[in-house]
Amino acid sequence: EGDGADVGADGGAEAEADTAALPEPDQEELAILSAERAAAKIERLGFDVGYRLCERLAQSKPLGQGLPPPGSAAAVAAGGTVDPAAMQLEAVKFLCKEFWTEVFRKQIDKLQTNHRGVFVLKDHELRWLRRLPPEDETARVAAIKMLAFPCGLIRGALSNLGIAAVVSCDFLADGKNMAACSFNIKIKS
Amino acid sequence: MSKSSASASGHALWSKMPKANAELFALTYGSLVTELIRDYDNADEVNSQLDRIGHSIGVRCVDEFLSKAEVSGINIPPCQTMKDTADVVARIGFRMFLGVSAEVANHAPDGSAFSLFLYDNPLSIFVELPTAEEAAAINGGSGGCDLSKIKYSNVYCGVIRGALEQVNLKVTCRFVKDALRGDEVN
Repeated sequence: EGDGADVGADGGAEAEADTAALPEPDQEELAILSAERAAAKIERLGFDVGYRLCERLAQSKPLGQGLPPPGSAAAVAAGGTVDPAAMQLEAVKFLCKEFWTEVFRKQIDKLQTNHRGVFVLKDHELRWLRRLPPEDETARVAAIKMLAFPCGLIRGALSNLGIAAVVSCDFLADGKNMAACSFNIKIKS
Repeated sequence: MSKSSASASGHALWSKMPKANAELFALTYGSLVTELIRDYDNADEVNSQLDRIGHSIGVRCVDEFLSKAEVSGINIPPCQTMKDTADVVARIGFRMFLGVSAEVANHAPDGSAFSLFLYDNPLSIFVELPTAEEAAAINGGSGGCDLSKIKYSNVYCGVIRGALEQVNLKVTCRFVKDALRGDEVN
């Protein structure tokens, strides 16, 4: 801890001395930056996969009983009377049921919404996190990294359905069950 | 072991493995390759990274393979020759993890080399590789990655190399024909 403080102080001093140039990032900052970059990469991977998978799945499975797909002739003919919030709900429900089943072989356990563009999806047992050792700090960090991929999957799938959103994830582990997690979707308006 | 019993073992082991969505698998691998292409500028680097990834996977595959076989009571006798090894890898190994069987042929006279033919490649179901002219057009002569030289399924080479390394066989493995480049078979 002493080393970190020293390097930080040096970096700070350099920043004040030379405001034009960026200060040299110390080891900790580099580690955080590279972890963020890695997470962003994984999320991007998830986005591509989610987008394409949703395209494939939406072709074979009916999306929302009777609601016309966005941008189709039927929607235009309806004169835009389709309620966008209802569309979003149908899309998220499709995500929770069919999409999630294809990827994780189960449906989302709990869906909450405030009907104003915010959805919370809770999964009590995510397959990918099942084998993590309980109550382990490094396991938590690893789990957060792994959760970036499903975040991207959700964002990609929604984007394919015509919905732009921001997705973040939360790790809900409570000591015994390390595989519980939740995803927060905020629709951009 | 006889060919038919090897195929039967492969099929039995495959049915016991937990399965994932094949499209998800192919799409995820595709995104991985895309990211690699974005990171590295030249095709050889991408190919060697794929090989490295495959190596990590292969090292773990062998243990999985042997433990699952033991649990299901399927007996895999120790291989006496390279030919036996080749058969086991192709018929049981590939079948168990990918669900497709590979064929073995072209054994070198001194038993030190063989070819594996993969007719169905589950990784490349959605993939097209540009030809050399198209790849040059995409790059616009700006010296990017030559997409037509990418060995898309190079991860298989790494897996085979890693797996055989765990049983103390040092091998090199490379793609001779690639269906994505217009050949009939992998």
